[in-house]
Amino acid sequence: MELYELNLYMLTEGLKAKKFSASEIFESCKNRIDKCEDNIRALITRTDSTPQTSENPEGVLGGIPTILKDNLCTRGIRTTAASKILGDWKPPYDATAWKLLRESGAVLMGKANMDEFAMGNTCGNSAFGPTHNPNDISRVPGGSSGGSAAAVSAGYVPFSLGSDTGGSIRQPASFCGVYGLKPTYGMVSRYGLISYGSSLDQIGPFARTVRDLQLVMSVISGHDPMDSSSFRDKAHDFTHREDVSLKGKRVAVVKEFQGFGLDAPISEAMKRTLKVLEDEGAIITEVSLPVVSKYAVACYYALAMSEAHTNLERYDGVRLGYTVKDATGIKEMFERVRSYGFGAEVKARIIAGTCLTEPTRCEEYYVAATKVRTLIAQEFSRAFGETDYIIQPVTPSLPGKIGEADDDAMKGYETDLYTLPVNLAGLPGLSFFTGYAGNLPVGLQLIGRRWSDSELLDAGIILERHLGSPKIADGGQATARKKLYLEER
Amino acid sequence: MKLTSEEVNEIALESRLLLNEQELASAVRYINNFLDALDCFKELDLKDVEPFSFAEAIECPLRDDVVTPFPYTEAILHESEHVDGSYFKVPRIMEE
Repeated sequence: MELYELNLYMLTEGLKAKKFSASEIFESCKNRIDKCEDNIRALITRTDSTPQTSENPEGVLGGIPTILKDNLCTRGIRTTAASKILGDWKPPYDATAWKLLRESGAVLMGKANMDEFAMGNTCGNSAFGPTHNPNDISRVPGGSSGGSAAAVSAGYVPFSLGSDTGGSIRQPASFCGVYGLKPTYGMVSRYGLISYGSSLDQIGPFARTVRDLQLVMSVISGHDPMDSSSFRDKAHDFTHREDVSLKGKRVAVVKEFQGFGLDAPISEAMKRTLKVLEDEGAIITEVSLPVVSKYAVACYYALAMSEAHTNLERYDGVRLGYTVKDATGIKEMFERVRSYGFGAEVKARIIAGTCLTEPTRCEEYYVAATKVRTLIAQEFSRAFGETDYIIQPVTPSLPGKIGEADDDAMKGYETDLYTLPVNLAGLPGLSFFTGYAGNLPVGLQLIGRRWSDSELLDAGIILERHLGSPKIADGGQATARKKLYLEER
Repeated sequence: MKLTSEEVNEIALESRLLLNEQELASAVRYINNFLDALDCFKELDLKDVEPFSFAEAIECPLRDDVVTPFPYTEAILHESEHVDGSYFKVPRIMEE
């Protein structure tokens, strides 16, 4: 077995026992990236041209390679958010989540591709071109954190970080066949995360086992004075325990979602997983979320676009990124920089956000959406009085082919119905692996009440025990071999 | 409520975005579909509902009002092409 195939826990144990060295892990991961990257294109920037030195070799992540979504600031390393407008910007500081990983000994292999400014669910809205799903390179890896998910799935690194504003960790985790956690809003500092929808954004990890998610969360969670939305006085214990149980725990399906169509492998995965939960002693129940099921998509996009329009005002060509030097006035400079620098989806969302927050429309749309959000949060709060977990799909369908586009953007947004309500209510959500349909992985989602992240991962440990862990994806190797064979003939 | 091309173009200009003909046509379609989707809010009685501010009560964190060193000035200026000494220099703001 090659070192890149080992999961995070196995690597940390092997290093402790001196079975192999950090530099051997680095070389193995680097070789894996060299082998697959032309097929997958998961990375915008590689930082592995020279061996990276761990600043804390004895730390819990001493010498472990990782990859960060390219909207996480890395001091002195290009950070693009997959947009032309950031050019070759090198942030002067590290995102807190990366600083914590670095101080625990992790080393950076690269910055991962994503949908521009995290707006999208295919990883195709990137100024650097699309990322391919390592399980089937003709298909999308999901988004927006598609590069981070694909990198872990293909064995580039044992874990990576992404961000989730409306499903951007859970959906690509499901499409690529890895585990992904969207933590409770406020649990992981957002300092140094390039903002999209600030009241919705949350950083979280991808890994190939739930236990590895626990280890990463133990490092990146906690209060940060640099992020006013990060909570004080919240104890988080992500210690791995084998003696976890779901006996007597209530796990609910959402009544209103039962009539919605799902791809057959996803509905089969639901049935299989509910049986596992029942066999483990959980009580399967049902909760009703009528406002969520009918209004969450509209509410989410109204708020996300309004926040995006405000957050993206800062890109003016003055302080960072792409600029023009021959503008005769500031207005001309702003217009030329922004018109060239932003991609089509980002421009559309900025214009929509501007429209919704204009004084004449603000009450009707933006303020109404904030009120609908209150109803959604209250509805979840009531539901978690009746259940401990909610189980549901991540998406209604398996990953589509790259380049398949729908002219009606709202239709595309509707596929986010299962993920974005979690962000509206600030809840934690775990995307977990359930098995394969052909060569494509099938994931589902377990949602908990606020601050129940560690219990959610405990439940994930039990599910993984019964449903099995994902294997490392082929990374396009079979397709490359077939192409070579055809060329030789 | 359908927005015209002129209205959408005006909103784009407020956002400092210049759209070509094709982009404008696509933006008009996008915005109007989106506003149609938001009409569903009218089905709800929101009169006595408080706007959402945060999932739970959070105290606004305050720091002591003391000067602390800021180590990033040089690195920040280094990233800009519009620098004069230790300042950003921008094109003319007042229009003639």
